[in-house]
Amino acid sequence: MSKDHFLEIRGLKKYFDADRPSLRFASREMRHVHAVDGVDLSLQHSEVIALVGESGCGKSTLALLLMGLEESTAGTISFEGRDITHLKEHERKGLRRKIQMVFQDPYESLNPTQNIEEIINEPLLVHGIGKNKQDRDQRVKKALEDSGLKPADVYLQRFPHELSGGQRQRVVIAAALVLEPEILLADEPVSMLDVSIRAEIINLLAELRITRKIAVIFITHDLGSVGFFADRVAVMYLGRIVEIGTMLEVLEKPQHPYTKALLSVIPVPNPRLRRERIILQGETPNPIDVPTGCRFHPRCPVAMWTCKASDPPFTTLSKTHQAACLLLVK
Amino acid sequence: MNLTPIVNKTNSQVSVFWKSLRRNPMGLVGLAMLIAILAVAVFAPLIAPVHTAEITSKDIYNAPNSTHWLGTDDAGNDVLANFILGSRVSLIVGFFAAFISIVIGGLIGIIAGFYGGRVENTLMRITDIMLVIPDLPLMVVIIALTKPSLFNIIFVIGIFGWTTTARVVRSQTLAVKSRKFVLRARAIGAGNMHIIRHHILPLVLPILVVQAVLTVSSAILNESTLSFLGLGDPTAPSWGQMLNFAFSRGAMSTGAWWALVVPGFGIVWVVLGLTLFGQGLEQVLNPRLDTHHLMPGRPVVQSETAQLPSSEKILLDVRNLSINYINDDKAPARAVENVSFTLKEGELIGLVGESGCGKTTLMLALLRLLPAAGQIVNGKVFFNGKDLTALNEDEINAVRWKEISIVFQGAMNALNPVRTVGDQIAEAIIKHMPGFPHDLRLQERVVELLELVGIAADHKDHYPHQYSGGMRQRAMIAMALACNPQVIIADEPTTALDVMIQAQILELLDSLRKKLGLAIIFVTHDLGVVAEMCDHVLVMYGGVTAEYADVDTIYNEARHPYTQELLKAFPDLTKPKKKLSSIPGYPPRLDALPAGCRFAPRCPRVYARCHTEQPILYKLSDNHIASCHLLEASK
Repeated sequence: MSKDHFLEIRGLKKYFDADRPSLRFASREMRHVHAVDGVDLSLQHSEVIALVGESGCGKSTLALLLMGLEESTAGTISFEGRDITHLKEHERKGLRRKIQMVFQDPYESLNPTQNIEEIINEPLLVHGIGKNKQDRDQRVKKALEDSGLKPADVYLQRFPHELSGGQRQRVVIAAALVLEPEILLADEPVSMLDVSIRAEIINLLAELRITRKIAVIFITHDLGSVGFFADRVAVMYLGRIVEIGTMLEVLEKPQHPYTKALLSVIPVPNPRLRRERIILQGETPNPIDVPTGCRFHPRCPVAMWTCKASDPPFTTLSKTHQAACLLLVK
Repeated sequence: MNLTPIVNKTNSQVSVFWKSLRRNPMGLVGLAMLIAILAVAVFAPLIAPVHTAEITSKDIYNAPNSTHWLGTDDAGNDVLANFILGSRVSLIVGFFAAFISIVIGGLIGIIAGFYGGRVENTLMRITDIMLVIPDLPLMVVIIALTKPSLFNIIFVIGIFGWTTTARVVRSQTLAVKSRKFVLRARAIGAGNMHIIRHHILPLVLPILVVQAVLTVSSAILNESTLSFLGLGDPTAPSWGQMLNFAFSRGAMSTGAWWALVVPGFGIVWVVLGLTLFGQGLEQVLNPRLDTHHLMPGRPVVQSETAQLPSSEKILLDVRNLSINYINDDKAPARAVENVSFTLKEGELIGLVGESGCGKTTLMLALLRLLPAAGQIVNGKVFFNGKDLTALNEDEINAVRWKEISIVFQGAMNALNPVRTVGDQIAEAIIKHMPGFPHDLRLQERVVELLELVGIAADHKDHYPHQYSGGMRQRAMIAMALACNPQVIIADEPTTALDVMIQAQILELLDSLRKKLGLAIIFVTHDLGVVAEMCDHVLVMYGGVTAEYADVDTIYNEARHPYTQELLKAFPDLTKPKKKLSSIPGYPPRLDALPAGCRFAPRCPRVYARCHTEQPILYKLSDNHIASCHLLEASK
C-alpha cells in the first residue's frame, strides 16, 4: 500500500481493567476487558470507511482511542506521518481541530442550557479561532448552513429542545465542522433517528466529503446503511477486524462467516425477497474471556475443530479485500 | 416546521420559570411568606413600634394590650418591636451562613464529582466525617471558646452546614459529567475549567439554588438553637435570644405565653416558608421530579349496541377511531383521526410511520391506556365482537393483558433491578390472574414461559443486570405472554437492539405466532422488518391513514406519496449503489396541523388542492386503501 497514508493504525490495543483494584487479591492476576485487541487500519484523504460490528465489538472504543479520549494499551496511531498515540493534552489541542467526532445520541450530546450559537461558537473559543466576533459569527453561520440548517439566523438563538432529532444531529455536525476538520469520526450518527431522516444525515456526510474533502470513519452496527457512500467496509468482531474490503466486495462477496451472517439478517425492504437468514445464536461473548483460536468459533455456523486451536491470519483475496478465516487459508 | 427566531433568551427562560412556578401553589405560598418576612426585616426600623415611655416594674410581662399589641417581655420591652428587629438578625445570620455553606458545599461537590478518583475519595470521606460529627455540641464549644459575635455565629453555622449540599451537588455533577455533551466538549479540545464553567455549572445550578433555600432555613434554625442556649450575640438580639430570655426569666411560670409564642412563630414562619418555596423550586427546576403517568382515559362517545364484525376470523376490528388530546388553553390536538384496520387470527400487521405519527397513541387507545388528556372522540374497537370503547374500567381490565398485551418500546428498562426476573414474571401472572395457585404450579408456569421465549430455566432466579439486552427483551415478551393473550402489540420491540439480536427477537416473535396462533401488531419505523415479517401494513402519517394494504402491494405498488418516499429513504442491501433520498421536513406537530392534507408540506407531488382540502380514503382494490387527492381519478 502507498506510503502517504494520512491516518495509519498499527496493532492498536486497548485493555480495560475488569476488576476494581481494591477487590484484587495479590494471588490473582488482574483480568482485562479486551475492548480493542490488535487493529490495523489505514485511511486516505477524503475516504469513507464504514466500521461495522455489534455492540461490544470495540468499534466505539476504537473511535475514542483515535480521538485521544482513551489512552491505548499498545500499538500506534499516526496522522500525517506523525505518531499521535501518546500525546499530552496540550500537544493534542492542535490535532483536535483536524479530527472531530459526531456522537450517536443527538439528544444527549448537546448541552440543554446552551443555545445553538453558543454550541457552535464554543469550539472556536476553545481554540482561539477567529480574529473577532464578526469573523466567528461568519464561521458559525457557514458551519450551520453547510450542515443544512438554512438560513442560519433562524436557528442561532434556539435551544436544542426546540429542534428535532435530525436538526440536532446537524447541529452536532456543525459544531465539528466549524473547526474545519480533516477527519470526521461518526459513531452511530443515525441509529437514534427515524428512517426518513437517516438518509438526510448520511447524504449530508457524503456531501461534506466532496465539498470539504473530509475523510469519514462511519461507525455503525447496520451494514445496510453503509452502501452507496462508504468506499471501504471493515467488519469488527470482539476487538478485531475480521474482514475488510471495498464496499462492493464486502456487501456482494462477503468471505468471513460473520460478515455473511450479519448481512443475511439485515431486513430487505422487499417482501418478495424473504431470504434465508443465518441467525447466530447467543450474543457476542464477553471480551474478558476471549475464546481461544478464532474468536468467532463458538458462534460460527461452519466452524471446524482446528478453529479452536489456531488464530486465523488475514487472507488476501484481492488488492483491497482481506478476511481472517481458516476456511480461506489454502 | 415554522421557525421564528426567539429574540430574547433570558426573557423566555424566565417566563417559562414563572409559568411553571405559578402552577405550583405550595411554592407560591412559600414565596409569599418569605416576601412578607423579608419586607418586615428590610423595613424594620420604620415599622417597629417605638415606645418612649420609661419602663417601670409594672411593664414586665404585660399581656397584649392596646399599647403593646403583643405584650411586653421580661425587661418591659415591647415584644412586637423586638420581634420585628429580631427578624433582621435571624435572616442576616441565615442568609450569610447559608452563603458560606453553599460555596463550600458547591465547590466540594463539583470538584469531587468532576475529578473523581482520589480527589473524590478524600473529599467525600471528609464530608462523611462532618456528617457523623454531632455539629450542635461542636458549634456550642467553638462559640463558647471564641466570642459569641454575629460574625462568629455566621461563620460557625456556615462551615457546619455544607455537607448535604456537597453530597447533592456531587451526585448531580456525576450525572452531568457522564452525559455525552461533556465528552463532546472534550473531543472539541475543551479543558477542565471550561467544561466545569460551561457544561457542569449551568446544570448543577438549579439544584444549588434549591439547596441554598433549604440551607437558609436550617441555618436559621441553628442560629435560634445557639441563641436559645445563650450563645447569641448580645448586641444583636435575634428571635432565638428572645426565646432564651423569656425562657430563662420566668415567662413560663408567669404564664407570659406571648414572649415565647411570638419569636417561635417567627422561626416557624420563615422555616416553613423556605421549605415550601424550596420544594416548589425543586419541582420546577429539577426535571427528574417531573413525572408523567399513564392514566386510563374515559371514552367520551357513548356507543350504541355492539354489532358483530362481518367475518368470524377477525379478532380485532378498529373502525374510524379518532383520538384527541385535550389541551387547557388551545383547541384539542387531533392525534389520531379516522383510522380503521382489522387483525385476523394469527395475522401479523405492521404499523409504520415516523415518530410523532400517532402510532403509539393508537395502540394505547386500543387498550384504553391513554394518558389522562387523551380521549377517544369517535370510532369503535371491536375485539371478538365486544366494543372495547364501551367497556367500564373493570371490563377493560379483563381484556388488558389477558386478551391483548403489550411489549412496550424500551421495555428493557422496565424490569425492576432488585427482583429476580422469575419473580417479576410470577407477579405478572398473579396480578392478572388472581386465582392462580401460589404453589409449584406458578413456578412451573414461569419456567414454561421462559423456555417459550428461549431462556433456559436456570436463569429464572437471575437479576435483570445479569441478563443481556436481548434476554431482557425476551423476558418482557414472556411477561406479555403470561396470560395466554390472543393479541400482542409490539411497540418498537427491537429498536434499541443490534441487528443480530433484532433478528433473534423477530425469529422468536414469528415462531410464537406460529406455535401459539398469536396475532401481532408490530409498531415500527423499520420498513425492512415489516417486509420480512408482516402480512398487512398500515402506514400512518400525522395521525391519519396514509395507506393500508397487504405487504406486497405496499412495497411494489404503493400509491401514496408518503409511502413511496418512505421506501426511497430506506437502505436496501440488495441495491448498495442506490442513493438514498430523504423526506425533507418533519411530521406536523399535533397542535399545528396543516389545513389540507397533513403530508402536503413535505409532499413532492403537492398541488393547490392539497393545501386546502383533506383527502378522503380511496379504495383502490379490495384490500388497498390510500388517502391522496391524486387517487381520485383511479378510484
